[in-house]
Amino acid sequence: MVGISILVGCLLGAIIGINAPTISYTYSKYLAIAVVAALDSVFGGISSLMNKKFDIKIFISGFFGNAILAILLTILGQKLNVDIYLAAIIVFVWRMFMNLGTIRRYYVEKWTENFKNKKEQKETKNKKTSQG
Amino acid sequence: MSNNKKIGIVLGLMCMALTMGICIQIRTVQNYSVKIGQNYDQNNLRAEVLKYKEKYENKIEKIENIDKILENKIEQATTENKNLEESLNQIKEKNKLIGLTETTGPGVKIKLADSKLDSSAALDPNLLVVHDIDVFYVVNELKNAGAEAISVNDQRIVPTTAIECGGNIITINGEKIGSPFVIKAIGLPENLANLDRTGGYLEAMRDSSIIVELKKDNNITIPKYSGIINYKYVKNAK
Repeated sequence: MVGISILVGCLLGAIIGINAPTISYTYSKYLAIAVVAALDSVFGGISSLMNKKFDIKIFISGFFGNAILAILLTILGQKLNVDIYLAAIIVFVWRMFMNLGTIRRYYVEKWTENFKNKKEQKETKNKKTSQG
Repeated sequence: MSNNKKIGIVLGLMCMALTMGICIQIRTVQNYSVKIGQNYDQNNLRAEVLKYKEKYENKIEKIENIDKILENKIEQATTENKNLEESLNQIKEKNKLIGLTETTGPGVKIKLADSKLDSSAALDPNLLVVHDIDVFYVVNELKNAGAEAISVNDQRIVPTTAIECGGNIITINGEKIGSPFVIKAIGLPENLANLDRTGGYLEAMRDSSIIVELKKDNNITIPKYSGIINYKYVKNAK
């Protein structure tokens, strides 16, 4: 259910994005940082879903809050002539890797368990047939 | 279950926003990126140039809007007064003559583009590109054939227009334009199409493998001259 909705959302977004008008070059920097922030939020949401700690309010507020904060930081950095957005990118990407790690661990554990179960079932079956 | 659905919808929506942003960003960057070496300084310079270009385009838009407002005001002021109406018509007629209004009519479209041959294989690579002289010559021949309005890549040819060489581009009315050149002319199409005669200049260009296309068209629109014609020294002789 969740996987399908994510897929449909991605497809719809791609279609709209391809047909939407492009933004001006001045603002593309801000959109880029917002995209990174949103990417981080989505991965965070999925990983919290795996840990069964998902909360819609926290997710939505994180999605918009992080994006807006990142854009504001970029603007502030431009005013101060310091590349603050680099710090934002590092934090976001670091968190993305952490979240990807939890997602990966979840699936790897799931699959190894499934594999083990199947093996055990086969062994018990084999035993039964040899006994019979 | 309903909670699960909610989660799905929210995640889907967020993914949609995310991919939308990514797609728009990719297209924006593609629009503006040029195939040159990239380092920090060049990127900054390019961003600066693009910013100025944007500002310039915004200013031009503003000027066009103001022009429209002025036209409206003039029309409002002249609707009731007959004398003024006459002079307005005179102004319109003169503007048409010197190229300050957009005009339509029958004519020809000539496309000149650089040759697609590999320049390193050619004996004289100079022959493979369209020069300012070529455009100048074609415009001159169009005038000779009775063209009443001419534009090159949407730059109107007016009495003060200069066609100059500017390296790998040419400048017309101070605006840089590059190959392919689309020359539009309004006049009697049959006359203008005679430019493509045997032994003519277009044929000579085609022989040196430059891409030349001439098309008659009954509905050609030529934009107005966007600059200002300002004569300081010319006075009426009495």
